Amino acid sequence: MKRMHVRTLLTVGIVAAFAGLVALSYVQTAPDPADSQYYLARPLSETGASNRVAGIYLNYRLIDTLLEVLVFSVAVLGVRYYLRKSDNIDLPDLSESEVVQTAVSFLSPLALLLCMFFAIFGHISPGGGFAAGVIAASALLYVAIAYGMTATEARWDPRRLAFAEKAILLSLLIFILVPAFVGKSPLTDLLPKGTPGDLLSSGSILIYNMLIAAKVFIGAWLIIAAFALHRGEL
Amino acid sequence: MIARWILLALLPVVAVIALSQSRRLSAIIGMGLFSLLLAAVYLLMHAPDVAITEATIGAALVTAIYVLAIRRTGRLIVVADEVPGLIAREGKQIVGLEYDILVGFAREVGLDLSIQFVPLRRVRWLIDHHEADMGAGGIIPLAVEASNLMPTPQHLASGVYRFEAKSLPRETARIAKIAETAPDYEGYFSDLLTHDRNGTLPTVATSLDLARVLALGRMGAALHGLDRMDGSYGYAFLIAQKRVELQRDYVGYLTRLRDSGQLETLIGRHFS
Repeated sequence: MKRMHVRTLLTVGIVAAFAGLVALSYVQTAPDPADSQYYLARPLSETGASNRVAGIYLNYRLIDTLLEVLVFSVAVLGVRYYLRKSDNIDLPDLSESEVVQTAVSFLSPLALLLCMFFAIFGHISPGGGFAAGVIAASALLYVAIAYGMTATEARWDPRRLAFAEKAILLSLLIFILVPAFVGKSPLTDLLPKGTPGDLLSSGSILIYNMLIAAKVFIGAWLIIAAFALHRGEL
Repeated sequence: MIARWILLALLPVVAVIALSQSRRLSAIIGMGLFSLLLAAVYLLMHAPDVAITEATIGAALVTAIYVLAIRRTGRLIVVADEVPGLIAREGKQIVGLEYDILVGFAREVGLDLSIQFVPLRRVRWLIDHHEADMGAGGIIPLAVEASNLMPTPQHLASGVYRFEAKSLPRETARIAKIAETAPDYEGYFSDLLTHDRNGTLPTVATSLDLARVLALGRMGAALHGLDRMDGSYGYAFLIAQKRVELQRDYVGYLTRLRDSGQLETLIGRHFS
């Protein structure tokens, strides 16, 4: 019991020290709020995205977004590694009543449509790949609640999905690195810009949004599936 | 501007309401509502992207995950082996004596009955690991069992038949098939198909309860050499030993069912 106490204190201490260090370094180098004016002052034609937020996180600060995607991938990897399905678990499936099933079969296609809208028009209107992916994953989660995890998993094989997720991440990285091969610095947007407000106006942002949406969808679903199967129900 | 202040003032109110709910589902919905209000605040503060993220993650995804986590509450989850007469599927319906008892019990304690059919050897495991509340389907508890599963009082008398034979080679396949169909109760029901140490004739030994003897007979299997084992056996449900409240509720329900004569009526309806 005493050893447990020491261990807990040690863990808390390490986390607190780490958090303190991060906080200290943040206070010293905290960005000036006036910096935001810098991005807003840039001409819209530079990114082509009439949604300024998308222009910042998928063009000027693409490296931050890329790291965020990587963090998410590591999270998926970790969850899947530590929550591997035990071999001898063969659990009965839970499914909901017909009312829930009917409601879900109406709502899920709508949610998927919304996902596509947010992914495709993320640079023109609010939205973007992350939100789109989460919406699609929620839609699939509702399907799993209504029809049972085993039934849903039979259609969406996690192993194949995990492979697809890695493939998407790889293609995202390659796409970002392509400028390096033509003598420009990586993360530069090579695609032509159009009139802000048009669908094909913001170069690569459309492609990033769609790739991120697919990745977040698969990743979020994989995490949910791992939780559900480890817990042994859904 | 006023709308923003009203929404901001509502946020702590909704948070307190969500926290003070005694029903878990209400608390979860309250939390989803909080997220939705927060999304509205973001929208009014001209941050539609953040609003969308808050709505999708806070109101949709997290709410769904919490719903998932509490799904087992409010249900009486019964895992059962299919035994004709006791609990079995008939088309889309489930019928049988044990099913009728469970339906009545679930209604009395105010839970939704959810029945999952699993092989008998899984019943024990699932209750043991708290994945199910009760086990059903022709379970005969023996007094000698050392286990953390608690059998309920018996609701129907049965018998245990021992079936053992040295079989000729040509009969082996047939008997092996019977042994395969037989239940696999760890400890007291053992399915064995072993070759004699001397390497002569294969021996089949298995124990069957009355309902399964009848079911095998109905399937056309000819069972020779059945020995009724001494002792009085009966069917019961299994409940984890830790679930004291559930046990107490069920014992009370069964006692009332028996005292009022309804149990007799039910048995008569299924076995007459």
